[in-house]
Amino acid sequence: MSDVLAGSGLVKKYGPTTALAGVDVAVRSGESLAIMGPSGSGKSTLLHVLAGVIRPDDGRVMLGEERIDRLGENKLSALRRDRFGFVFQSGQLLPELPAEENVALPLMLSGLRRRDAVARARRWFGPLGLDGLQGRRPGQLSGGQAQRVAIARALVVEPDVVFADEPTGALDQATGEEVIRLLTTVSRSLGSALVMVTHDAGVAAHCDRIVQVRDGHIVDEWHAAVPARNGATR
Amino acid sequence: MNVIALTWRFNRAGGRRGWQGHLLAAAAAAVSALILLLVLAVYLGAGTRGDHAAWRTPTPDPRGSAVQALSTSFVRDTPVTVVQLAQLPGRPATVAPPGLAAFPRPGEVYLSPALATLVRELPPGQLADRFPRPASYQTIGAAGLASPDELVAVIGRAAADPAIKEAPESDPGLGLAARAIVSGFARTAGKPGVFFAFDQAGALIAAGLLVVPVLVLAAASGRLGAARREQRLAGLRLAGATPRQILAMTGVEAFAVGAAGAAAGAAAYGLLLPAVAGIPYGVGAWYPRALWVGPALLLAMIAVIAAVIAVSAMSALRRVAVAPLGVAQQADPRRTRITRLIVFLVAAGYVGIRASDGNLGTSGTVALMLLCYGAYLTLGPWVVDQLGRIIGRYARRPATLLAARRLSDDPRGAWRTVSGLVLAGFVAGFCSVAQLGAIGASHPGQVAVAVPAEGGQTAEAVAERARDRLGAAGVKATVEADPEDSPLWETGIVAQVAGGPAEIDTALTALSGLVPGAVPYTQDLSNADIAMAVRQLGQIGFGALLLSFLTATTSAGLTAAATVLDRRRTYRLLRLAGTPLALLNRARTWETAVPLVVLAGGTTAIGIFAATRLNSMVGGAQSTNISMLAGCLLIGAAAMFAAIGASRPLLRAVTADPVRADD
Repeated sequence: MSDVLAGSGLVKKYGPTTALAGVDVAVRSGESLAIMGPSGSGKSTLLHVLAGVIRPDDGRVMLGEERIDRLGENKLSALRRDRFGFVFQSGQLLPELPAEENVALPLMLSGLRRRDAVARARRWFGPLGLDGLQGRRPGQLSGGQAQRVAIARALVVEPDVVFADEPTGALDQATGEEVIRLLTTVSRSLGSALVMVTHDAGVAAHCDRIVQVRDGHIVDEWHAAVPARNGATR
Repeated sequence: MNVIALTWRFNRAGGRRGWQGHLLAAAAAAVSALILLLVLAVYLGAGTRGDHAAWRTPTPDPRGSAVQALSTSFVRDTPVTVVQLAQLPGRPATVAPPGLAAFPRPGEVYLSPALATLVRELPPGQLADRFPRPASYQTIGAAGLASPDELVAVIGRAAADPAIKEAPESDPGLGLAARAIVSGFARTAGKPGVFFAFDQAGALIAAGLLVVPVLVLAAASGRLGAARREQRLAGLRLAGATPRQILAMTGVEAFAVGAAGAAAGAAAYGLLLPAVAGIPYGVGAWYPRALWVGPALLLAMIAVIAAVIAVSAMSALRRVAVAPLGVAQQADPRRTRITRLIVFLVAAGYVGIRASDGNLGTSGTVALMLLCYGAYLTLGPWVVDQLGRIIGRYARRPATLLAARRLSDDPRGAWRTVSGLVLAGFVAGFCSVAQLGAIGASHPGQVAVAVPAEGGQTAEAVAERARDRLGAAGVKATVEADPEDSPLWETGIVAQVAGGPAEIDTALTALSGLVPGAVPYTQDLSNADIAMAVRQLGQIGFGALLLSFLTATTSAGLTAAATVLDRRRTYRLLRLAGTPLALLNRARTWETAVPLVVLAGGTTAIGIFAATRLNSMVGGAQSTNISMLAGCLLIGAAAMFAAIGASRPLLRAVTADPVRADD
């Protein structure tokens, strides 16, 4: 299977600090990739560069056959809306929208009529264990429920790539396990690649492949034993 | 660490965005203080002007030492106040009137600077010949004048001079003429004349129109940055701070920011004073010192503005103090209750009943205006909530849906953005009707002179002499004795003058002294009271409109900017999810436009109703100025788009880096 997303020779500097120092990384459709590393290692910068949120100083990012690191802001917005999905640690849901409208929002932004967008969004609530929560606002959901709504929102457009930044960071271990299991299995079933930043080896072990980042370099890479329950294995 | 030190510590650590929020709040406080100080200055200044003019109306004292006669003439449709003074023989010397170097001797003429200029500029036959012609005129000082534009003449006479001896003792109509023996010129003893009668009432109406929108702006500034403050203080509350400590910290912070802003506004008031004094009101421009409110009121105003902002900020934090988790999790939308509608209906009913008789008086009208404002302020958030729910049900596009959900999620916040402009709708409606047409005597081109029966002259004989005088002055006129169409209530002659203001002024001058003590009469004199009230209502309307739109635009702009800062995390996430900036701006425009259009329509209608009542009160004709109303609506729309547009660069800046953590 060919790479759906590939970064090569990626360099990013913040003043005197080098966050990425020539990183090469790629991910295939349906594959999940965990990016691990200590704080300040450059793992979040790598995710943001791959997602087109930050422009690299050097190197290139290819989405399929299309180079995306030089796209204009409008095209990048459309790309993030239609072909990417995002899951963050917490707080990515709009507090004034009920859960189903939060999930339907990317579809509406892509031009789908509200009724159709909400209908499609509702289909995700059952598989993700969210039945009955469609009308609740984010503030009325538990942390785990809110993350599952966020996963539904990231996957509702059936994206090429899902980017997740510490998606279980605000959850207890059991809830985190549940959320990450859902995220990996559902994105795999959709054929979406998953790029996830985490510092938790147990979370990373759910992914197909793990890269270790330190001082802006990928210093190690290995395939995880799937499914892993007790941490990553080499 | 005490509360002040802790508050300072947090603010120092608050970063650039924190200080931006403070700057916005301070700017709002500055505009609030500036406008309230100007309104207060006009109100107090109007009183001062009345005091400065009061000496001209004689205060009778049979044992007095001088005779004082007041009369009013017109030149170029502008009133000229003439005070004749004569020392009574054998009585103690009379003190000099305010603004005069000494009590005038017979033949001496004192002129106000504006009248002296006109006397120099106009041909003598149009003005100067109405007065004695001394070798040189003397000048009335500011102490004896209400305005530098006032036209006032003080003429010294001998006590036996018919010009003062035969002058009418009173003018039963407007009080523009009076004669009495006086012992002095106490400033506040006499009643200010008809030209000052509406001064303070007009200022009070302006204050009534402006004070609520300005206080709303000040209160809104207290809530700027509320979300950020709530998050920070909710964290403190969870860490064990007591509700009293939380409220004290908020109060200290908001008071300090408000006081700094209000002080800047007070400084702006001081700097603008000379320019503001040049704006005419009633009889003309102001002496700057008349508009100076003094240090005590200045400090009091700063304190009041700062206190309003502090109370507003603290009331916004009640939820943190009571339930910090509720704020930290943003669990519940901030619903409004139907009791707001009930309160509004009760208040509207009461206003309708009270206003129906049309005899409210100025303070009653202002009180009802304030009640209207209060009722609308109560109703506003409820309507916004309902609008959000209705639009949310039918919205098809993301921008509309986002706007609708935002309206119903925080109706009070959305209301704060538009409340200023909504209340400005009241002023616009009020002013579009308050440009009333005068109902008064209509005798264009006529100059009349009363012929008292006790004078021993017939009207026909006086008419003959009038024809001679007018002919000698080169004025084409037909003169009749006691015609049917006459501005006079008594026997007299009427000259129908052909020509414009110059010819009328020439006729007025030529006929001065035709009958000793009788001042020639025109329709200007007949309509002096209502003409001045109409003029002042127009000036008040224009000023109030200007200031209310300034307040409203500032309020809407600052609140919109503060909302961007408060919701920057949400906006960043929306941008990250691929939401175009244009769509976010469309949603923000919807958020503002929908409640504004619905609610401003209501306030405009109430403003029209209030002005109709006021017109009835002063006896004016009802005439709605549609073009002015349309102009105001256009200005309102432009103000709204300007307010939203001004925060677009800020939205672009805060979402430029969508993965940035909250700062």
